[in-house]
Amino acid sequence: MVNSPTKLKDKAVKRAVNNLRKDKRVEAINLGVIANELEVSLEELQIYYSSGEDIFLKAQKRDWDSLHSYWDKQIKKSKTPGDYKDAFDVFFERFVETLSDDADLMLEMSCYLPACIKYRERNRKKVRKKFRSLIKKGWPGKDDKVIARQTELIIIIFYGFVDRVVQLSKPERLKLLRDFRNMINLQLQDRRFF
Amino acid sequence: MNKETQSKVKIIEKTFESIKRDNKGVTNVSLLSVAEELSMPYEDLTSFFLTLEDIYLNEQKRSNRKIEAYLESGLSNSKNANDAKNLFENTIRLFVNELPEYADVVWAATPFLPKCLKEKIRMKAYLKKTFKKIIKKGWPGKIESVLDRQTDLCILSFYGLYEYCARAKKKDRKAILEDFINMLNLHLQDRLFF
Repeated sequence: MVNSPTKLKDKAVKRAVNNLRKDKRVEAINLGVIANELEVSLEELQIYYSSGEDIFLKAQKRDWDSLHSYWDKQIKKSKTPGDYKDAFDVFFERFVETLSDDADLMLEMSCYLPACIKYRERNRKKVRKKFRSLIKKGWPGKDDKVIARQTELIIIIFYGFVDRVVQLSKPERLKLLRDFRNMINLQLQDRRFF
Repeated sequence: MNKETQSKVKIIEKTFESIKRDNKGVTNVSLLSVAEELSMPYEDLTSFFLTLEDIYLNEQKRSNRKIEAYLESGLSNSKNANDAKNLFENTIRLFVNELPEYADVVWAATPFLPKCLKEKIRMKAYLKKTFKKIIKKGWPGKIESVLDRQTDLCILSFYGLYEYCARAKKKDRKAILEDFINMLNLHLQDRLFF
């Protein structure tokens, strides 16, 4: 039996991920099965989730909301180009630090389930907007066109990074992060873009 | 193109068109409905493909074979560093230019179709091995560990580009391509890695 709503939600996500890990059929994940496994009634689970897809969507949103909230605090504190550069770096650090062990499956779901894809696209725009603003303030002197092109490139490689980093163990994630950040910094200092 | 290949191409295009049009998942399209849309006897269709997964796999392999053939012939013909650099750049151009309109559908379903996932993993390993050889030849003087780390970053960037391009319109794909190639060039010249 699961008694608190937060615990119930966490366990529902865990079950959904475990079931998916065992049998790669998203369609096989249904609330009835999860409710049975958690020994709660379907009605109780339906207070929080409307479908298997909804479990993944809400877990995805929760992770990103928490990351954005942390990131926004850093951005708000920034005053100088150095601070904005740090806020830019903090995003990648925090992203890697908070990746769960099931991040690989969560990523697959976010690329496959329609509601998760929509959210992923919306979130991509949100991240792009923040990257753009941070690049403008952290690496001043670039014109708008350059900022737009560089932001797009950073977004592209960030999502490639995500695809790779979720497959790695925690220590390997940190090693890759270091190289990745060097690559991004180099790109943002590129004089050919000026 | 012979008659058999023409039929296969028609089936593939119709399948992905149907999936894209109705925003259906992999499991919501049947070979029967594709046969009906093509006004083709079901038996004729199943003489080419037995499952939807076969159609995805065929499409994935078709695209991979083209890149592999290009890389293999390019590697055997590249005599100096400049040839290797050109091969690296032109492979990326070829990959992006050859992506079909329905690349997003193929990209999203790959993790859920076991045969496609296996093919994706195989291709990623092939690209890693081949890009490493090209980087070694095109940017000589790097030690093994640097080669490995830089290849890893190139591969993750390449898959980030794939994700972006699979979802973007053809003109947007072209717009980012040269910036992306410049970025990888800059990365491969990076002295910090030495």
